[in-house]
Amino acid sequence: MSNGLQRLNGRWVSAVLVTFVLLAPLMINDYHQSFLLQVFMVIALAQAWNLISGMTGYVSFGHAAFFGVGAYAGALFLTWGFPWWLAVMKGAGIAALLAVPLGFLTLRLRGPYFAIAMLGLNEVGRVVATLWVDVTRGGTGLTLSPELLPSLDVKYFTMFGLALGATLLVAWVHRSRFGLELRAIREDEEAAEMVGVNTTLNKVIAFVLSAVIPGAVGAVYVMYTSYINPASAFEHARNIEMIVVVLFGGSGTVWGPILGAGTVMVLRELLWAQFPSAHLAALGVLLLVVVLYLPGGLISILRARQQKRPDARPGESP
Amino acid sequence: MDLLEPDILLQLLIGGLLAGMLYALLACGLNLVFGVMRVINLAHAELMLVGAFGAYVLFTVFGLHPLLSLLIIVPLLFIAGYYLQSVLIERVVGRPMLTSLLATYGVSIILINVGLLLFSADFKAIPALQGSFLIGELAISKPRATAGAISLLLTVGVYLFLERSRLGKAIRAVSEHAQVAAICGIDVRKIRMLTFGMAAAMAGAAGVMLSVIYSFWPGSGVDFIQKCFAIIIIGGMGNFLGAFYGGILLGVVEAFVGGFASTQWAEAVAYLLLVTVLLIRPTGLKGVARV
Repeated sequence: MSNGLQRLNGRWVSAVLVTFVLLAPLMINDYHQSFLLQVFMVIALAQAWNLISGMTGYVSFGHAAFFGVGAYAGALFLTWGFPWWLAVMKGAGIAALLAVPLGFLTLRLRGPYFAIAMLGLNEVGRVVATLWVDVTRGGTGLTLSPELLPSLDVKYFTMFGLALGATLLVAWVHRSRFGLELRAIREDEEAAEMVGVNTTLNKVIAFVLSAVIPGAVGAVYVMYTSYINPASAFEHARNIEMIVVVLFGGSGTVWGPILGAGTVMVLRELLWAQFPSAHLAALGVLLLVVVLYLPGGLISILRARQQKRPDARPGESP
Repeated sequence: MDLLEPDILLQLLIGGLLAGMLYALLACGLNLVFGVMRVINLAHAELMLVGAFGAYVLFTVFGLHPLLSLLIIVPLLFIAGYYLQSVLIERVVGRPMLTSLLATYGVSIILINVGLLLFSADFKAIPALQGSFLIGELAISKPRATAGAISLLLTVGVYLFLERSRLGKAIRAVSEHAQVAAICGIDVRKIRMLTFGMAAAMAGAAGVMLSVIYSFWPGSGVDFIQKCFAIIIIGGMGNFLGAFYGGILLGVVEAFVGGFASTQWAEAVAYLLLVTVLLIRPTGLKGVARV
């Protein structure tokens, strides 16, 4: 029953959130709309990370690399005359194309070794983008001319669509047999293998799905900023944000990353907007606190409270 | 210029060996921690940068020569490491390795960004040592030669300490088997704090050496931690001597790739080596850790 109640609560919360998001562009100014767009971006990225790291326990320290690849792909295809939505799909597709071989190579490695191998990926992306001057124009970066770009509303709804799609994907995976197998891998990979779970294939599928999202998000992001260079495409801070947001909200859950992204973004806006380094240092502290004292994240506090409230389940026994 | 001339090859070799000695000092500390407590310290390179910025402050504010600042920075980092272990790392020892990875990742994020707040993102350098030793046709830069020699001395010193002294034996005993060591009356917790202190001191010393050779900024750690991982995976995780040889090897390979291809490719060598080794032997070349 508590499950049903949670689902009901979840439905109400989602209905309110979606209505707000749909009506927001009519009511708020461009600045706030941009802020919401960035919140959607962080939610989508967080859900992507959640899909591989939250579900399987394989911590990826380099997922921002797929964002960077998608951003460059989006910018390039846009300048080559493709419509914006096709450029976004190209961004997603190219991220996926990279993720397939990379996943097969790195996911044979057990947890810590995978983490180590992924740690440098973002750095590699940055170096490649800097050196591949013919295509990326190196450190100068690519500037998109304004007439190529869709309007803020289009970008806003696309980013929302990505956040929503990523969340629904996580929700589906959560309930499916596939998700069960992923969690089996997280709990005990050898045991999962023994009962017949194709661990490598499952991990690679999760990895590719989790790369497609940042690829698309990166492409939309570049249309939002209209400029990209190696440093902004392959920003290390983006890795940190993804990881901390998910763990803070509650990793491996559907609502955790949304909760985490909302909280972290509001804090950033209110407290640290002028001091990006202070914001990241604060995220480091948050990460320590969560790892040491709150392994279940914010959502675990909410759940515990909901289960304690006696009137929350009338007529329920024992 | 013919690259295959013996003089040039020798020059590259010496340059590589010297750089490798600095890598070895850094990686040995990382491996010491891993050996004793099975924790991969993602903040190790940031501890090195604490040493580098310490030397920078001492040089710019007090005019202290970086080689003298070693005498201040090494003990300070030992103390910092000792307490970092007792307050934080001690809590994640024995938990799943991803927990300690995330915790030390948190420490590294904090150190990098506090560094950015204090020192900005500009590159810093300490122009204390300059010029070259000229030996026949060879020119060996003084800062590199000094940094390499001191790094080598310190690494050998720590190695001898581990091999010869009672305390060193206790550290190795905990590294071999913590429970048996505890039964033998070794205060395992204390050993872990000493070990982390030593590793931090080694990282700090490496940072001072780094500050003499290269320019650096608070984000410089990423490159070095990557190199350290390549080194300890090549040399065997938890294996002190392995990290030493791995460090030297990486330094030499980088020097030759830098000489024949480009320095930017040399930067990628560590990552390529790391990924290649992991693909051939998913637990590292001489893996001691079952994880």
